[in-house]
Amino acid sequence: MSSDTEGISDRVTAFGYQAVSEGWTRQRVSILVALGLVLLAFGPSFQVYLFTEFLIIALFALAFNLLYGYTGLLSFGHGLFFAGGSYGFAIVLRDLGPVITDTVGSALGPLITIGVGAIVGVALVLVIAIPVGWLSVRLEEIYFALITLAFGMLGFSVIIQNPAGITNGTDGILVLLGTIELAGMEIRLGDRQVYYFFTLAIVATSTYAIWRIVTSPFGVVCKAIRESPDRAKALGIDVTHHRWMTFIISAIFVAVAGVLMAGLANVASPYQSHWSTSAIPVVATVIGGATFFAGPIAGAFVYLYVRWGISRFPALEAHWELFFGALLIAVVLYFKAGAVGGILVLRDRLRKTMGNKTETDSETGGENR
Amino acid sequence: MTTVLKTKELQKQFGSLTAVDRVSLEFDDDEITSIIGPNGAGKTTFYNLLTGVLQPTDGKIWLQKNGDLKDITTLEPHEVAQAGLSRSYQITNIFEGLTVRENVRVARISHDNSRMDFRSRADSDDEMERDIDDILALTNLEEMAEVPCDELSHGEKRTVEIALALSIEPNVFLLDEPTAGMNPTETTKIVSLIQQLNRDVDSTFVVTEHNMDFVTDISDRIVVLAEGAVLADGVPEKVLNDERVTKAYLGSEST
Repeated sequence: MSSDTEGISDRVTAFGYQAVSEGWTRQRVSILVALGLVLLAFGPSFQVYLFTEFLIIALFALAFNLLYGYTGLLSFGHGLFFAGGSYGFAIVLRDLGPVITDTVGSALGPLITIGVGAIVGVALVLVIAIPVGWLSVRLEEIYFALITLAFGMLGFSVIIQNPAGITNGTDGILVLLGTIELAGMEIRLGDRQVYYFFTLAIVATSTYAIWRIVTSPFGVVCKAIRESPDRAKALGIDVTHHRWMTFIISAIFVAVAGVLMAGLANVASPYQSHWSTSAIPVVATVIGGATFFAGPIAGAFVYLYVRWGISRFPALEAHWELFFGALLIAVVLYFKAGAVGGILVLRDRLRKTMGNKTETDSETGGENR
Repeated sequence: MTTVLKTKELQKQFGSLTAVDRVSLEFDDDEITSIIGPNGAGKTTFYNLLTGVLQPTDGKIWLQKNGDLKDITTLEPHEVAQAGLSRSYQITNIFEGLTVRENVRVARISHDNSRMDFRSRADSDDEMERDIDDILALTNLEEMAEVPCDELSHGEKRTVEIALALSIEPNVFLLDEPTAGMNPTETTKIVSLIQQLNRDVDSTFVVTEHNMDFVTDISDRIVVLAEGAVLADGVPEKVLNDERVTKAYLGSEST
């Protein structure tokens, strides 16, 4: 017994020494991050909730940045797709959930319902994004921002009108994930730990997919269009079509985030299509740094945790947007490359002061240029 | 001798101003043609009509493809490029935020029609990477391959501009004032590059230019535009000694 524990502690110590002496290799960082992500599930329930929300907002912002940082189009209406994912999911759970459970049995019914709901949520967004994108990408810059804003608010108005009783107006739709039985175990899908791991898996997969897209020939063409649409056209690239495709892909990943959000918040709310929700990925991306792949993730982290930090002080909570305004001004004025850019500058300075100049400037942290 | 590009009665009006006035020209594959003329003569508008950026008020444009002349009058800019007409811009227009290599890669992705490939890595196609190496070698840009374009000098950016337009292997290559804003050293370099490319590449070159030494050096034929219309057209010695041309440049043309 005691020799076992000694063995483990020795190994941990050895790992620590190695990490310090040989530096932070990619492998070690990955192991630590994975370990941290697992440990986090056993933290306080609210922290698990907050971190899950961060993951969802990070995916929302990453998908948004596919269009903004990579293709050069600032959408102010991505809330429409966030809401679309949530509502497609919520409507299936409300209207088809009992039918599906009756058909396949209560053991796995809720899980299959979630699967169907997610597919419907994403499909609904696809159906909306194809025409909305087709119209929007014909415009550029401020006009693009305005038309997407208009579409988002149009979605908001439609949802609160409660057409044919589908959307349940301003109250939104209640989302209950249910309980399944697996190998004799009862698993409550809405349980914060369960839902955290579920979200983590989906967000990690989506992030990888987005990374593959931005490093593919398709993604390189996106960057070229951001830099100079006219030059891209003169090289034979159909800029409008390419922007349209990027718009649709971006909307699909936002829909995935929307589905996850409905499950986490237990509601599909019309305010998800409101411009104030569309502004969240914009703010997160600007804070984190639009020119970095990880920028929106860092920005989403800052956004949620600063907001949480402020909420610790009830006197300030009512005015938390004021702090974000100030933070945003500071970032725009002094940290144009955002949080990730700031971290890289700090890292380079640290390396220089430590005399380790060989590695300086060697990595760009996935900068998308 | 084959006609690779042809315009007939090409006209562009902006309100009451006629920027290009019934221009009918044919360009042959075995000569470099320079289009010259005072500022405002309609050279850039003419290019914008050819490349589909502007739609002509009247007239037609044909481009040779696989032996046939194809009507490209109503095509969109990207379709014109796909049909085999490439251009460089008077004001440098490259992908500033990308490296030189990535710039050329974009053009090759377009040329190889892999724009809609989401799945492979952009730099994983060995054949494409070799093509990029060739283009960089051809334009003497190898040493700057990994430099972001916004860190290049003006002359180097102009060279990237040419490398980009060349990368899609056009039938016809329109150069819009390639020496604009260059110092004498840079000018010499770009002139010898264009001469060298004209020897090594299959494309037919059409150049607009203000630098007369360069024009006489490089051209087999000179077309003079004035107030949107063709004023003179022929071999350099004949055109440059034409009285009307001198007058147009001195601005004392009587109408």
